[in-house]
Amino acid sequence: MTTEHTRIRSLDDPHIFVDTPATIYDAVPPYPPTTEREAEFYSLQDGEMLINLGPQHPSTHGVLRVVLKIDGERVVDLDPVLGYLHRGVEKICENGDWHHAISNCDPLEYIASMFSEAIPVLVAEKLLDLEVPRRADYIRVLAWELNRISSHALFIGWLALDLGGLTPILYGFIERDEIVEMLAALTGQKLLFNYLRIGGVNGDLNHEFLSRLGDWMGRAGQRIEMQQKLINENEIFVRRTRNLGTVDRETALRMCLTGPPLRATGIPYDVRRAHPYSVYPELDFEIPTRTEGDSWARYMLHIDEIKQSLHIIDQVLHQIPDGPIMAKLPRLLRVPPGRAWIAFESPRGQYGAYGISDGSDQPFRLRIHDPSYFNLQTVGLVTPGHLIADTMAIMSSLDPIMGGIDK
Amino acid sequence: MGRPPGRPHRPRGRLTEAPPDQSRSRPTDTALKRRLEARLGDQLAGPVRARHDTTEIVVGPGNLAAVMRALREDPAFRFELLADLSGVDTGTVLQVVYHLWSPLTPDWLRVIADGLPREDPRVPSITFLWKGAEWGEREAYDMFGIIFEGNRDLRRIYMPPDFKGFPLRKDFLLPDDAARSPGMGVRYMEQPVAPAETRRQPVLRTSPGTGSLVAGAGHQELVAGETAAPALSQGEPGP
Repeated sequence: MTTEHTRIRSLDDPHIFVDTPATIYDAVPPYPPTTEREAEFYSLQDGEMLINLGPQHPSTHGVLRVVLKIDGERVVDLDPVLGYLHRGVEKICENGDWHHAISNCDPLEYIASMFSEAIPVLVAEKLLDLEVPRRADYIRVLAWELNRISSHALFIGWLALDLGGLTPILYGFIERDEIVEMLAALTGQKLLFNYLRIGGVNGDLNHEFLSRLGDWMGRAGQRIEMQQKLINENEIFVRRTRNLGTVDRETALRMCLTGPPLRATGIPYDVRRAHPYSVYPELDFEIPTRTEGDSWARYMLHIDEIKQSLHIIDQVLHQIPDGPIMAKLPRLLRVPPGRAWIAFESPRGQYGAYGISDGSDQPFRLRIHDPSYFNLQTVGLVTPGHLIADTMAIMSSLDPIMGGIDK
Repeated sequence: MGRPPGRPHRPRGRLTEAPPDQSRSRPTDTALKRRLEARLGDQLAGPVRARHDTTEIVVGPGNLAAVMRALREDPAFRFELLADLSGVDTGTVLQVVYHLWSPLTPDWLRVIADGLPREDPRVPSITFLWKGAEWGEREAYDMFGIIFEGNRDLRRIYMPPDFKGFPLRKDFLLPDDAARSPGMGVRYMEQPVAPAETRRQPVLRTSPGTGSLVAGAGHQELVAGETAAPALSQGEPGP
């Protein structure tokens, strides 16, 4: 289909227009609008124009493409276009057995993959009515909280990077490097750990992990203080994040926000407390909240959560019992028929999974609810009215991970 | 390599659930069950069930909007957080499954909109209650072809806009599915199936009551469909 948008101005002579075949990668799609919203978005008023952000733009945190409708320097509306990283993980999980699903779900949230690999594990355990050994549960919590800190440290750096500050991400990577080395000693992997197993974990705590952890715990608190000094009081940072992308409580619930963006609006919803799983009921920690609901509040909340995670790790190291790390299970795992829903708190919000088993060794359906997918759509609600440069600041404060969004 | 085409892919397949058990998960909230039966009893399509820490209700697509509104806005329920929205293909019908959370109960609530026909699955959209369900519904439309009436933006979200077929339906086969691999003569990715014009019967399960699989008939149809689309047939034609 040829539209006027497929005619572009020649570079040689500005009076010559060249017909080019339109593709779906153009800002204006080469097909008539199919929905009400699409028709509204792609029809331009006077003075408005569409620009294409991505899918390779570095600050979109992966291969996210956003079509911006702008009027001058102001964003009027935006339309995120997903699917550039879509692999069909849910379909792949249906075609492998339950153990394969662990490594298939691993790269979903690749910044904190200890969480996404828990999806098939927790679902299968619930369907099997399996009690995990307590030591395995404690080890899981330890690994989860370490991974949460490493993810949050990177978030802080990325947010500053998207606002133009290069230094904080270097400090964020110092933190992350240490934790990644630690987890590599525990799991053998640095990015996609593949450590959790149905019924327990893959290996027990070892000397190298514990010595690295003890070493790091001694200075982690101090390091966070230092990071806070770096940007908390920085005037440019504060002015560029205050009152930006503000979400109120009612909107946050209507938009299905979870995780830090929800808690930044003042709702203390954290699955670890709202619907406890694993050994979190035995641990003492708080759910930090903020009331402002803007990018600044989301940033501050991440720092508070790092402190709580450190507190949890401290308790786990004191309370961890001896015992086995794997439940006894047959190697060919036939999960009894039924349906199970699990949810747990990842650094980005509530990970959920709805598993259906038909009694075979393969999941009949494994629905994966990714928090950043549902968090990201708030961008379209809060960005209009802000400057183009602020789009990045809002988007990175919602902390989307495209591996999970595109599944 | 691969199974012969006549052999069912999942020999033990059945979707009937085991009887309620004394599971080791936390006990379910029986008060919630009573409240649901009292308030919504006439709108439910089946008994209120509870297993693990989840209470489950089944509604027909016609009552869905009213039930969801009551669950969200009734002060006795206050299910204000939509935890998930997902499509399910049982092999015979499609379902939309919602998971809700309320501060008033320790249980999750699962709402199943059951019995959507494969040819024209339609449910009312719940974007008037949760605006954030919009993308969840787009995903269910993209993957299952379920049409959410009232969603302003129901277009594909993952797959390209000109894609045909709905990938998470059970009759959408992957080329590396062992029983139907290219070696078996079937090479199938996209299928020309629109929700209103489905020509094929579901492949995997047709009668959940008997638990029998009729992969053979569906397979023959697939092979026949493949010859109609010569661009896709690369290997030998099927047996």
